[in-house]
Amino acid sequence: MNAFLATLSRELRAYFFSPLAYIVMAVLLLVNGFVFWLIVSFLSDPRAAAGAPLELFFGQTFFFWLILLFMTPVLTMRLLSEERRSGTIEVLMTAPITEAQVVLGKYVAALSFYIALWVPTLAYAGVIARYSAVDWGPVASGYLGIAGVGALFLAAGLLASAVTRSQLIAALLTFVILVPMFTFGLLENLINNEIAKQIFGYLNLWQHMDDFAKGIVDSRRLVYYASATVFLLFLATRTLAVKKWR
Amino acid sequence: MIEAQGLTRRYGDFTAVDGLSFSIGEGEIVGILGPNGAGKTTTIRMITGFLPPSEGRVTVAGKDLSSDSVGARGSLGYLPEHVALYEEMRVVEYLAYRARLEGVRRSRARGLIADAVSRCLLEDVREQIIGTLSKGYRQRVGLATAILHRPKVLVLDEPTIGLDPKQIIAIRELIRELGRESTLLLSTHILPEVELLCDRVMIIDRGKIVAEGSPESLRANSAGDSTVRVVLKGSPPDAASILSALPEVTRVEAAPNGLFEVICAGTADPREAIFRTVVDKGWTLLELVQSRASLEDVFVRLTTHEDPTAPPVSEVVAHRDENAAEVTG
Repeated sequence: MNAFLATLSRELRAYFFSPLAYIVMAVLLLVNGFVFWLIVSFLSDPRAAAGAPLELFFGQTFFFWLILLFMTPVLTMRLLSEERRSGTIEVLMTAPITEAQVVLGKYVAALSFYIALWVPTLAYAGVIARYSAVDWGPVASGYLGIAGVGALFLAAGLLASAVTRSQLIAALLTFVILVPMFTFGLLENLINNEIAKQIFGYLNLWQHMDDFAKGIVDSRRLVYYASATVFLLFLATRTLAVKKWR
Repeated sequence: MIEAQGLTRRYGDFTAVDGLSFSIGEGEIVGILGPNGAGKTTTIRMITGFLPPSEGRVTVAGKDLSSDSVGARGSLGYLPEHVALYEEMRVVEYLAYRARLEGVRRSRARGLIADAVSRCLLEDVREQIIGTLSKGYRQRVGLATAILHRPKVLVLDEPTIGLDPKQIIAIRELIRELGRESTLLLSTHILPEVELLCDRVMIIDRGKIVAEGSPESLRANSAGDSTVRVVLKGSPPDAASILSALPEVTRVEAAPNGLFEVICAGTADPREAIFRTVVDKGWTLLELVQSRASLEDVFVRLTTHEDPTAPPVSEVVAHRDENAAEVTG
């Protein structure tokens, strides 16, 4: 437990001390701010159909996915690659710590930082609440969706970071894992075979976020995120055990 | 405290360490010597649990590295050959992190950190960011990390590399002091360091132990030829032939400026005979010194391969370095 906490706090510190984190945060807020403004100005047009701005904000725009697909590789690429490239892995793995503790410590730090990045967007809900009524249920489930999809993406990123000592390759590899993970679901709409449609539907992240934003919490989706996350973290642990000294 | 049995490590077709077995008792200071690429770092990495051996087993402080890896690593302090640190942390922050990683209780950590800082002469840079430290300071932060939690077994890979002469003396002093508290395994290619610090030396070449013993016993056993340096004023032309005719002398090598190297078999001491000859001939003697076989001679003799079918040592070493680079680089 001590070793896990030591890793977690050192990783969190590394996030908040690196300029990269602030660049990611700034870009995220800039893009989100722009999207929020677009949505609000679109909906305030008297001819527009009625809609809840925050529903549209979570996952309904392509921007949301663009941010997520680019942001998670940047957050995770450093985690294990840098330890191996700089050689700090040698003193880390000769300390009394297991591979699982290293992977979990780093993962929880990345997830915490990711969640912290989204906290400022609560202000949007605050802005809406000031001028109109907010249905807080869908807002909460929207954030639950963001945490779930993020947890899955970050686990994929951590696995990629365990595979290579180059941060660039780790980021690209994460992207290569995430893009199919995301687009497979979209095939649901292009395929006629009933069974394939169901399978892709189960994996359709866009649809998932759409439902979360409407306040629909489907536990099958949470099971999907949780099981895939655990599997990816297990692979990362095994990869670290085998590759640490290479 | 450290037991290794049949320790072997292969990288593809290349065998870096080949069936090493040794045992290091409590409180011993043991040095591992060997040319570049002999397998020192590979051996050390297997002892510290970083590298899994291809064959064989290691126990540290009674704990098997394959079955109780975390336990074994917990009784170990390690300074790797390339000291790598988290660049963005301050020195004391880093040490506090390491203390936590080692499972040191918070109440004890403060005292241990202060102690490691003062023993490794880090007071001046306590609050400095590690990325801004010089090589010598980084080396000392690495050493402070290794000794921080008072491990029973300390493994130091080239501990004085990159330090200036004054720091080297201070760190050697510290190593000697640490040797009184814990078992110490030290890898180095600085021969005088081994003579100064170690109770016992293992000379490794091509992944095998080629000699083992105290520095004195290694020197005594290897006593091949002894050499006497003679310097004669004006280098008399017939000196070489006259000196080589002396009893026990095998040959004489004449060098410029009146220097003659008189080589004789075994432990023979021809100095008296040389002196009398010089007096008889009326030469002027400027210097007469017997040079004892040094550990350096032992080392060179054991690790130089005169097998005509084998490639020259320089090539072997270069070849191994390439292999090592492939593996670690």
